[in-house]
Amino acid sequence: MKLTISHDTTYRYDDQVRASIQYLRLTPQESERQHVLDWHLDLPCPARAQRDPYGNILHVLNVDEPHDSLLISAHGSVEIDESREAEHDQQSPLPFLRFTRLTQADEALRQFALHHCGARRDRNALIELMFGLGEAMPFTPGITTVDTTAAEAFAKRGGVCQDHSHAFLACARSLQVPARYVSGYLFSEDAGHLASHAWVEAWLDGAWYSFDVTNGLSRPERHLKLAVGLDYLDACPVRGMRRGGGGEQMHARVLVNQPVMTLQAQQQ
Amino acid sequence: MARILYDEMYDASGAVRPHYREFARWLANTPPEQLAQRRREADLLFHRAGITFTVYGDDQGTERLIPFDTIPRSIPASEWRVVERGCIQRVKALNMFLADLYHGQRIIKAGIIPAEQVLANEGYQMAMQGLDLHRNLYAHIAGVDLVRDGDGSYYVLEDNLRTPSGVSYMLEDRKMMMRLFPELFAAQRIAPIDHYPSLLLSTLKSSSPVDDPSVVVLTPGHFNSAYFEHAFLAREMGVELVEGADLFVRDEKVFMRTTAGPQQVDVIYRRLDDAFLDPLAFNPDSMLGVPGLLSAYRAGNVVLANAIGTGVADDKSVYPFVPDMIRFYLDEEPILKNVPTWQCRKADELSHVLAHLPELVVKETQGSGGYGMLVGPAASKAEIETFRDRLKANPAAYIAQPTLSLSTCPTFVEQGIAPRHIDLRPFVLSGKETRLVPGGLTRVALREGSLVVNSSQGGGTKDTWVVED
Repeated sequence: MKLTISHDTTYRYDDQVRASIQYLRLTPQESERQHVLDWHLDLPCPARAQRDPYGNILHVLNVDEPHDSLLISAHGSVEIDESREAEHDQQSPLPFLRFTRLTQADEALRQFALHHCGARRDRNALIELMFGLGEAMPFTPGITTVDTTAAEAFAKRGGVCQDHSHAFLACARSLQVPARYVSGYLFSEDAGHLASHAWVEAWLDGAWYSFDVTNGLSRPERHLKLAVGLDYLDACPVRGMRRGGGGEQMHARVLVNQPVMTLQAQQQ
Repeated sequence: MARILYDEMYDASGAVRPHYREFARWLANTPPEQLAQRRREADLLFHRAGITFTVYGDDQGTERLIPFDTIPRSIPASEWRVVERGCIQRVKALNMFLADLYHGQRIIKAGIIPAEQVLANEGYQMAMQGLDLHRNLYAHIAGVDLVRDGDGSYYVLEDNLRTPSGVSYMLEDRKMMMRLFPELFAAQRIAPIDHYPSLLLSTLKSSSPVDDPSVVVLTPGHFNSAYFEHAFLAREMGVELVEGADLFVRDEKVFMRTTAGPQQVDVIYRRLDDAFLDPLAFNPDSMLGVPGLLSAYRAGNVVLANAIGTGVADDKSVYPFVPDMIRFYLDEEPILKNVPTWQCRKADELSHVLAHLPELVVKETQGSGGYGMLVGPAASKAEIETFRDRLKANPAAYIAQPTLSLSTCPTFVEQGIAPRHIDLRPFVLSGKETRLVPGGLTRVALREGSLVVNSSQGGGTKDTWVVED
């Protein structure tokens, strides 16, 4: 499946920002599952690319001129191999056993994980956990923020993809299964559904398998991966700091299209 | 329980040890009023110099003077040379361990350390994986905490590879002794230590591939308990003391704001924990660090001393493996002993620990500063039971060790002079070479019978002499 993405993020500030710096994780990587056909970032000034601690492609954007708005655009198209369910890795998955502030498992999450998985640590068990969390935490925008922890969202019995992912990470790690946060895009026929998305990967039988709690999907057919990390803070597409500027409004617009004529359709 | 105690000044028969004879003679010949007068002077001078210490966990957040004791801790030079070699050996192995852990992980593949123990450890930093550091140096400044058991042999209690503090007290204690009692330094050969700041500066400079690199000291600010030391070391080295807001990152390089415009920084002696270094990469709420610093570091454009991610090597759960690291990387036998350690994460060792709590010292694997530890022989029954519950709730967070008797040194107390327990923290500098100044910081537990020497727990300090024998 070929996905075409157009992702604009606009920041508007109440006052002039004297200088800002952003870490951008807005560039997908080549992998067993995805082949990047073309990709580019439109930024107010050139930014250098490097690898971040998790191997993601990171651009560091310095804006040193005073500004009252900032437009960050990512465009491109990526071919997704729908037949691949898992991705292999050279690095040890063990660092992804570690809890973070956002993914700390409290007693309720530990019990929930045990209730669904018992002694099983296989893919079916984690799929049950995924559906269980999806039921326990129905998609509910507005009751959580970017700062809400897994335990807090679970206690509120709701949240968005970030909360679902954090709760799954907390559960999986409490079961001693390495698991990581994934940020990226989701193709959805339902145009009303936000296309910037987060899901998780868990390490089973020597490879990373995807679990999308929000959509109850264990096959990443419609998922384009941008970055991974221990939690949202490591993998989020934009993380920045600024001097001055006062209040801020952020507006993100994402279009994910599946062109009518896909590569695979042509082959068939 | 009767314990054999090793006293630094007196042997078992009560005779003064040879390296203390000169001092004992002087002490006997100096009138007590004069000593008392000098000790009052010392307090006054320390207050004036502003050498204070913020006590954590104290509601008033009071700044307190660290008590200074005027009876020095003295080590014969022949004995010191062994300790010195042992510290160098240990820190070399620890640096090699860190380089290995963040690259090929040979020691894991060789089955010497379980992968999960280090890779799932909080101190292990993904940011360091595969990153090459100049000279493969991670812990440029290390503090090795040593104690002596009843038989007088030295044991390493713990390694401090993150931001070890206390070296300013070592230097100030010496200055104070020389000022109050110059006659003592004329009468015998006491190895000088005042070159520490210049050794530190050359160590920091040699950690950068840049010719004549620019060095700064990064402090979390004056609310930090060791702020005095940060300011002191910057002044002694003749480099800038900066806070996060004084630095910024542009084009993957770090710059300092100066009145003459931005000036690039090559080496940051940072006295800030990993979590606070870069709010864009670590703790986002922290205003103490420098946004973008990690990107500059990973691009190889700035040296952090110590490196990020050294905490995995001084974690108390990794400590039991250090002797094996020495054998593995250096093919040498450890010169300094490790204290036998039970790892509570192992079920059989936990049950041993739970059965012997009143005899043991139990510590948090990630703890420091003497907070959250149990000294069994000194604890009440209630304290032991409270600790037992904490231990059972989270065994992996604790290790336990036998209670070492810790050597004593005569110390001024209210009733006169009495033996008090001490430890020793030499500071090991790793740059082009691995070096240390003779001695280190001696900390003394001022409460009778106490084995906790941390300044935050009512400990004091002493000048430390290495005396030619």
